[in-house]
This record gives sequence, C-alpha cells and structure tokens, in this order.
Amino acid sequence: MQISKKINVTNIVIWIVLAVMLLFTMTPIIFMISASMMERNQIMRMPFSWIPESFNRENFIKAVAGNDQSYIFVRNLSNSLFVSSTVAITTVLIASLTGYGLAKFRFRGRNTIFIMIMATMMIPFEAIMIPLYMVVMMLRIQNTYTGLILPFLVSAFGVFQMRQYLTTFPTEFLDAARVDGMGEFGIYWRIVLPNCMPVIATLSILSFRSQWDNLLWPLLVSQTKEMKTIPQYISTFALERNTDEGAMMAAALLASIPMFILFMSLTKYFIGGAAIYESRKG
Amino acid sequence: MGMKKYRGIEKKQARWGFFFVVPSLLFFSLFSFYPIINAFYTSLFDKRALSKAPPDFLGLGNYIRLFDPSRAASELSFLNSLRATLVFTVGTFIPLLILSLLLAVFISNLSSRKAKKFLQIAYYTPAILSSVVAATIWMIIFDPRGLGNQWVNTLMNTPGVDHRWLVDPVMEQVSTMVIYFWKYIGYFIILFITGLASIPSTIYEAATIDGATKNQVFWRITLPLLKPTVVLVSVMAMLQCLKTFSTQYMLYTNGAPRAPINVITFNIYVTGIQQQYLGRASAMSVVLFLLMLVLTLLQFKTTNSEQVEY
Repeated sequence: MQISKKINVTNIVIWIVLAVMLLFTMTPIIFMISASMMERNQIMRMPFSWIPESFNRENFIKAVAGNDQSYIFVRNLSNSLFVSSTVAITTVLIASLTGYGLAKFRFRGRNTIFIMIMATMMIPFEAIMIPLYMVVMMLRIQNTYTGLILPFLVSAFGVFQMRQYLTTFPTEFLDAARVDGMGEFGIYWRIVLPNCMPVIATLSILSFRSQWDNLLWPLLVSQTKEMKTIPQYISTFALERNTDEGAMMAAALLASIPMFILFMSLTKYFIGGAAIYESRKG
Repeated sequence: MGMKKYRGIEKKQARWGFFFVVPSLLFFSLFSFYPIINAFYTSLFDKRALSKAPPDFLGLGNYIRLFDPSRAASELSFLNSLRATLVFTVGTFIPLLILSLLLAVFISNLSSRKAKKFLQIAYYTPAILSSVVAATIWMIIFDPRGLGNQWVNTLMNTPGVDHRWLVDPVMEQVSTMVIYFWKYIGYFIILFITGLASIPSTIYEAATIDGATKNQVFWRITLPLLKPTVVLVSVMAMLQCLKTFSTQYMLYTNGAPRAPINVITFNIYVTGIQQQYLGRASAMSVVLFLLMLVLTLLQFKTTNSEQVEY
C-alpha cells in the first residue's frame, strides 16, 4: 500500500495525541526517579523543578533502613523475590506437565478434566480469598512461605497455554524417543520441556509479576513484619513516612528495580505476554 | 498378537497421561472448587472467626442483609460498595477502551517501525510497576501542592485552586480511576495492536483502490473486523476493574475517606478479615463471583456467535 507522506492536519493531530499520551504515561515515572533524589523542600516547591539540586542519599538510606532502623526492607524484598520466583517455577513445571498430558495422551475423562480446569478461570481469587484464608488458618500455615505460595502453585491459564502450544508439537519426535527406549517422564523432561521455551518465558513472567504485585493475599497471611512482602513494606512505609515524599519515592524506586531489569532484558516477552490473551478468543 | 501388544502400549500411555494431569487436578479441586463451594456454604451461616460454637444457620439472611434498602444510607453498606464498584468500573473501562483503541489505530498507522516500538514500550512501562508503587507516586502527585494541581491549573487557567484530589468524595473516585487508567492503558493498547495486525492488509488495499477515505476505512472495515477484540478487551477491562483493591486500600490507609472508594473487594477484606464476619464476607464474595461470571459468560457467547471470516 502506497502511503503518501504529505503532512496534513490529521497527521499533526495524531502526533499531538500520541505525544500527550507519552507525557501522561512517562511523567509520573520520571517524577518518581527525580523526586527520590530530592530534598523534601524541593519536591513540594511550586512550580516543580524536575532536575534535583543535589543527590540526596538520605532518601535511599531511610528507604532501606525503614522507620525503625531494622533494615527489614532487605528481608521483605527477598520474601517477594522468593515467593514470586517459586510461583513462577511451579506454575511452569506443573502447567507444562498437565498441558502435555492433555495435549498428547488419550485417556478416559480427558476432555472433562480439561473443561473443569478451564472452568476455574471463571473463579476469581478475590471471590475465594475468605475460604482460602479459612483453609490457611485450619492448616496453621498462616505467616509462612507455604501459606503465601500454596494458592498460586498452578494457573489454569498456564495449563491452557501449554496445552495449546503442545497440541502442534510433532508426535513423531515423541514416538522416536519411545522407540529409543526413553521413559515417559524422561521424554517430558528432556524433549517436551526444552521445546516450550517461548511459552515458558511468557508464562513465568506473568506468574512472577502477579505475585510481585500481590498485596491482598499477603495482607491476609503475613502477620509478623519478617514475613511481609514488598508491596506491604511500601504501603506501611508510605503510611508512617507520609510527610517524607523523597524517602517514599526512593522506596518505590528501589522496589521497582527488579521489575525494570526484567522488563528491559525481556521486553519481547512482556509485550508478547500481553498479546497472548488476544489469541484466547480464537 | 501385534494388536494385543498395541493395546497394551495404549493402556500404558493412558495411565501416564492421567498421571501427568493428576497434580493440577488435585490442586484445582483444593484451591478453586472447594473454596468456591465453601464460600456458598459459609454465606448461609452467621460464621465468625473467634467463636468456638457452631455458627447459626441464617439461610439467605446474609444476602438479605447485604441488599437491605434500609441499610443503603449507611456509609459502608454493601449497596454502597456495589455503587462504588460500578462507578469505578464504568468510569475506568470506558476511557480505557476508547483511548486504547484510538491510540492503537494511530500507532498501527505510523510508518516508522522504530516509533511504533518505542511508543508501545513507553505506554506499557507503567504496567510493570506494582499497584502499590503506582498509588504511592500518584498520592504525592495529588498532594495539594503536588503536580496534579499544577497541571490542571495550568491547563484550565485557574491558578492557585486546590482540586482536593484525595479529600472530595467525587474527586477521590476520579483519582482512583486516573491511577488505574494510567497503569493499564499500555496493556490494552498492545491487545488492540495485536488485533489490528491480524486483519489482512489486502482488505485495506482493496478498499483504497475502491476509493474509500481513511474515515470510511476505519468505521466500515477496521471496527467491524475488530469487534471480537473489542468485546474481549471490554470484558477483560471490566473484570480487571471489578477486582480492584490495592489502589483503594492505599488511598484509604493514607487518610482518604473510605465510603466513596469502598469497593466490593475492600469491603470483603474489612468485613471478613478485620472484623472477622466470615459468613457475611462470604456472601459478598458470592455476589462478586456471580457478577464476574455473568460477564465472562457474556464474553463467551458473543465471541462464539460472531466469528469473523475474512
């Protein structure tokens, strides 16, 4: 299709809309970075000056030391990293195993099981958190990592993605491996899993992020400050430090760095991960 | 004999298949099916966490209480939560839908690949921040002396006015919508861009040859072909909005009034966890579940009945 390159009014309007949107999405992030380095009196100055007058280290020291100098930030950050990575790993492992079973084996009840797993996608976590909370209290795993992780071990969406992907996987490869005498579990581990890398990448990012962002469940499960996760840390810190905007922004920035690193190194899978929902409608 | 051996292999295969599926099956039974059934069951009782005595059976008592019109006046009633949730959902998902569609069309029509990629990544960046971080940033922007007032006052030429972002009941709701919109706009833009990319370019070429204007192409071709994506994105955006919690929690704990933003999830949290009325909170959960179920089924129905063929 030949696109004429004449500059007309429509094009100018389009560029203005795109630029305004760019300002809207980026300024709060730039504000966070800029304010994290500022003295308090510079942040609340009108009009706001975007360039920090000096680098105020104090903000970051306060953010990490916490309100009681306990440095619990480090523990809370590690908790979040641990919980999110564990959930990402178990989701990938169990979802791929199930997806493989559903895609490449024939057994009685296979379709029923598939439909049942799909049906759980209609049950939102927010609607079952009270019963889950009662289960956790009953099992006495409140305030433990098990309690934080257990309800998120697998996702139905993950099973679905894996099954869709593996349905197109050539069965001849599997049969060839069987003829060579490879065991069924070995085939899964050494042939199927290594060939699912694109789905594994998007799925693990999705699971990692959803736990990294999770505030509600840790609020229910974590009781002592040692067991809190980073969203809870930020929320408590913001509450107790609500007049110290520089330190709040420093804490927010530090808490976002792992996600920034992941995003910059795996942009393709983040954007692709958003787009796989699109394929669901087919 | 060959046949018999083949059947043996098939049987063995079936056993392995089942074995691979069992972990998920167990998991979903325990952590999805059991809890939702339990929510229905618990919602029929006056269950409170601290009491050791077996809870009183209320029948539909909890539900009657939730929808009791005489309680509607009470600030923190469930009817108010329904209102807060619906206002938030409608007020967030309509701008999200319209603007993400518009921006996706604009981006898709750009000729520079670099500009396309850059804008997608830039618009998407807020989505990688956690909701708590997003709320924290915006709370400072919405400070009386913050950027929010400075921007709006510059745009509307109203110097020195405080728009009471986190104090005024109406503005507080607008603030939660702005935060949510900011976090999710990039995500929905990408969904639409993917949808647009799946429309074959030959259709556009044919239309241009036939002399269609850009406007005609959009309203007569792009939009109808994009309908499945529009339905999908609307339902996803609505479901997402119905589940909102962190933004409201953050604003409330930092001193904003609760009633205007007391959405269903927040009410469930306060009633069930802080006040330990587990039965009443379960009834609220069931209502939330049914609301979302209706939306999901609606989505399935529309997407299945209107398969587009190019």
